Amino acid sequence: MQYETIGAFGILIGIVVRFWPVWIALAIVVTFSLTFRKRLGLYGQLYGNRAGIAGLILCLFWLFTAVFASMIAPFEPLQQIAIMKDAPPGALDPDTGAVFLLGGDRLARDVFSRMVFGSQIVLVIAPAATLFALIVGTMLGLPAGYHGGRIDNILSFLANLVLAFPVILLFYLLVTPGVRETSIPQWLAGFFLIFPVIFFCTLFWTRYSSRPGLLAPLLVITFLLGGWLYAGLVFRADPLGLISLAPNELNIFVAVVFASSPGVFRIVRGLTMEIRTRDYVAAAQTRGERPWYIMLWEILPNARGPLIVDACLRVGYTTILLGTLGYFGLGLTPESPDWGTAIKESSRLLRAHVHPALPPVVALMSFVLGLNLLADALREQALKD
Amino acid sequence: MNGAAPILKIENLSISFFTQAGEVPVVKDFSSAIMPGEIMGVVGESGSGKSTLALGIIHGLSPRGRIVGGRLIFKGRDMASMKEKELRRIRGKEIAMVYQEPMASLNPAMRIGAQLMEVPRVHERVSRREALERALDMVRAVQLPDPERIMRAYPHQLSGGQQQRIVIAMALLSKPSLLILDEPTTALDATIEAGIIELIKELGRKHEMAMLFVSHNLGLILETCDRVAVMYCGEAVETGAVRDVFERMRHPYTQGLLRAMPLPTMDKNARPLVAIPGQQPAPQERPKGCNFGPRCAHFRENFCDAAEIPMVVVDKAAEHSSRCIRVGEIDWDAPPGKAAAHEPVVPGSPLLKFENVRKYYRESANGFFADKERVVKANETISLDAREAETLAIVGESGSGKSTLAKMLVGLETATSGRIIFRNTDIQDIPVEARDRETVAGIQMVFQNPFDTLNPTQPVGAQIIRTLEKFRIGGSAGERRKKMLALLDLVKLPRSFANRMPRQLSGGQKQRVGIARAFAGNAKLVVADEPVSTLDVSVQAAVTDLLMDIQRRNGTTMLFISHDLSVVRYIADRVMVMYLGHIVEQGTTEQIFSPPYHPYTEALVSAVPLADPRARKRRIVLKGEIPSPIDPPPGCPFQTRCPHKHLVPDGLCERELPPFRDLGGGHRSLCWLGDEVLGKMKPVIQHQPGPAPD
Repeated sequence: MQYETIGAFGILIGIVVRFWPVWIALAIVVTFSLTFRKRLGLYGQLYGNRAGIAGLILCLFWLFTAVFASMIAPFEPLQQIAIMKDAPPGALDPDTGAVFLLGGDRLARDVFSRMVFGSQIVLVIAPAATLFALIVGTMLGLPAGYHGGRIDNILSFLANLVLAFPVILLFYLLVTPGVRETSIPQWLAGFFLIFPVIFFCTLFWTRYSSRPGLLAPLLVITFLLGGWLYAGLVFRADPLGLISLAPNELNIFVAVVFASSPGVFRIVRGLTMEIRTRDYVAAAQTRGERPWYIMLWEILPNARGPLIVDACLRVGYTTILLGTLGYFGLGLTPESPDWGTAIKESSRLLRAHVHPALPPVVALMSFVLGLNLLADALREQALKD
Repeated sequence: MNGAAPILKIENLSISFFTQAGEVPVVKDFSSAIMPGEIMGVVGESGSGKSTLALGIIHGLSPRGRIVGGRLIFKGRDMASMKEKELRRIRGKEIAMVYQEPMASLNPAMRIGAQLMEVPRVHERVSRREALERALDMVRAVQLPDPERIMRAYPHQLSGGQQQRIVIAMALLSKPSLLILDEPTTALDATIEAGIIELIKELGRKHEMAMLFVSHNLGLILETCDRVAVMYCGEAVETGAVRDVFERMRHPYTQGLLRAMPLPTMDKNARPLVAIPGQQPAPQERPKGCNFGPRCAHFRENFCDAAEIPMVVVDKAAEHSSRCIRVGEIDWDAPPGKAAAHEPVVPGSPLLKFENVRKYYRESANGFFADKERVVKANETISLDAREAETLAIVGESGSGKSTLAKMLVGLETATSGRIIFRNTDIQDIPVEARDRETVAGIQMVFQNPFDTLNPTQPVGAQIIRTLEKFRIGGSAGERRKKMLALLDLVKLPRSFANRMPRQLSGGQKQRVGIARAFAGNAKLVVADEPVSTLDVSVQAAVTDLLMDIQRRNGTTMLFISHDLSVVRYIADRVMVMYLGHIVEQGTTEQIFSPPYHPYTEALVSAVPLADPRARKRRIVLKGEIPSPIDPPPGCPFQTRCPHKHLVPDGLCERELPPFRDLGGGHRSLCWLGDEVLGKMKPVIQHQPGPAPD
């Protein structure tokens, strides 16, 4: 059917105008950072690099989009206006006069709003999963690199096992309804989510064991926060009702952490083996420091350069992975606006209507590009140090 | 000099680097001329610009560096007027360069023969057969055994000394008119260094080559070069014939350098080293007028810092010039001002004892699939003892086992057999994690590399406080902070350094923090593993003095590991010389440095370059390489290189390990040489009579 459209120029202006909170936020952050560049350490140094600025702006753009999503998007992600099914970009709803800036999809939902809300999901799951994978990989990679010998052999073998296993198959196994019904996902979640608690506890205990006045409150806070997260995520019994994840979301989360950890493990192990030979590590050993103190406070801070770069890249990989999973229908529910699922849904009738697929694709691409540029800039800065 | 034209004439050369922070002048107004057949030395500390100068001559500076003034005239032609093509032809063919790290100069993926043959084939386009012939000849000329095998080998299969000889061979293959050597022996052991230096001098004589020898080692320059230019902060401060400059120095910096070096005439108690106060300014922070002014004892306000100082001719005949406008006014023979003498320390009761300690490492390629185990015999039957407040030096080159000894003491390794007794407790099989706090705090170590000794991510003060926490010194955080500041005072660092990060400190300052950390727990025994070898000469003196000072005050026993015999002679009470895991000689400093010697000690004393122009040294150059500890030679460990082997009947040296014989007064030597031979040994270093050279 024929729609009234506002024309290409109108679409462009419309999109730019709708993103107004993001532009303001970006302007504030960038000006603030540029003025205080010298005092902001590594973050400030990124502004001296063209790739760094480009990457930062892209990532910050999507970050603010996720934060202000409800202000930017004109419609709800699941809202359907039947008449706008497969509407072309810029089509006007004849009844209300509202504009579907990037058109309507197969189920008559606004593509633009879905893209904007999709960013929320992607920007929560991908970085969080990467963070957890970082912690798990680090906790296992440090002892493997430091002690070597049997511990290294066993852990490396396990890591290689997981790495060699085909990822899609792994996800199929973890996410199929048959497995979902059992308690395996919950056990896995329970296993992985305890790592951050152990990490922070060990961190504080090794350093402040001679200062009980400082140690006790830190440990208490860690246990409280950790316990709250744990209760909310694993047992779905959050007393404050803030944290909860639907079961299949938890599965995705756990599966992604499981698949990403061996990569981090490898990197941390390699860095540890190299840093272990330095004199300051020997100095710590001759002081009688315990191995975990040396690993967490002497070795890990010196490995942060390559780790930060890897983390940036890994968030990108995870985003693509979520997209892939969505494409296979292994991800979140089919109505979810996250980019992967959206691409899948719109790929069915690609020949007929290409416009529903393009926005999530461009969004995904630009976000991952931003992350890669950021990683490049960080690597360059780390080399200059 | 004869009337020949100089090969290279450098006129007022200035080189600057252009960085984000602006222009950084690294070399300023350097002038010199190198005649054919002459070896010109350029000596300076790190940051003086000497390496930049060498790179500038061959136009090998990084893109950020540029020649901003002056001229380089090579064989009568101004190099600035040459096109890139001609420069390329000259580089590698007429001017060749040898760098410091031999492994970095050789392509690890090409065989030696292929790399050597490249030189004549690229520059002179000779046939393969001719190139091969020439390469083989050159390998023989640099005195490498078995040339065919070496030609087929890869660089990593050769030792450091052999690699450097190959690099020199490559440089010589093109028959250059000028050979530039940038610290060619810094990375090598003393006895290997001596061999390379002999080789360089002989080849220079034979081929009538001009050479530019860049180094920070004054002794090496004295022994090798004909003329010298002393550089400070990018400028030449004194130039002239080498003996002239060393015997009649006319610049306060040169004088300061020579006074800061531990020559045999110094004595740690009666006539200690005099360090140069302060440190060399960064190129961007040059003071007005004389660069050395702020550190100079003869500085005169409004005179020395008024304007740029030109070079002043001191002696026209000897071509001796100096960049000091007070040259005529200073009394160069006056003794140094502050040389506070100390009472010699009396050693106390026995503290440490090693009884027949052995350390073998089992090495296998793969954890799961080892077919043949190799044993590295790092330490063989070490027996020694040390008393309180004593300084015991352990001397040895790479592979001698001295680092393994240190590691066993601090608990990073455990002994394979034997006993190590520290304050009446056996510690030979207790690793550091299992030791009680008293023992851990009691034995501490100062490490070799100051750039690695501190954690780059933590502030300096926090690292010292962590040590205090670990040793339970100070009851509260406030007390520990006070103690940390007191330690900074002890090592003569300003208190404001407590909040600085390690990268903001210089090498010498970092080493001081390392010393503060080692003494934080009131250690009874401090193992110093080459603590000053990577530091500049002027800084070495200060850090060495500091160690002695603290040791005197606390009555700590110090185990000083070094390969630098000059420093050892200065600070040690007793010395042990190690070779391939064995102690080959031990005794007091007097006994070790005078005959009778163990043949290895004799060669080692001869190998160390001495910056004293009045000393006459016997030249003993050892042939061959240090054997590998995996495959030690039978009998005496030193027999493969010993020049006196033929004096022992029946080839006993090759069959049986010598006894550790007593030569009187606690002086012991692991040698088969008989008493008559030992009695006839002459001292290696003899001093001509005359006043002290300061």
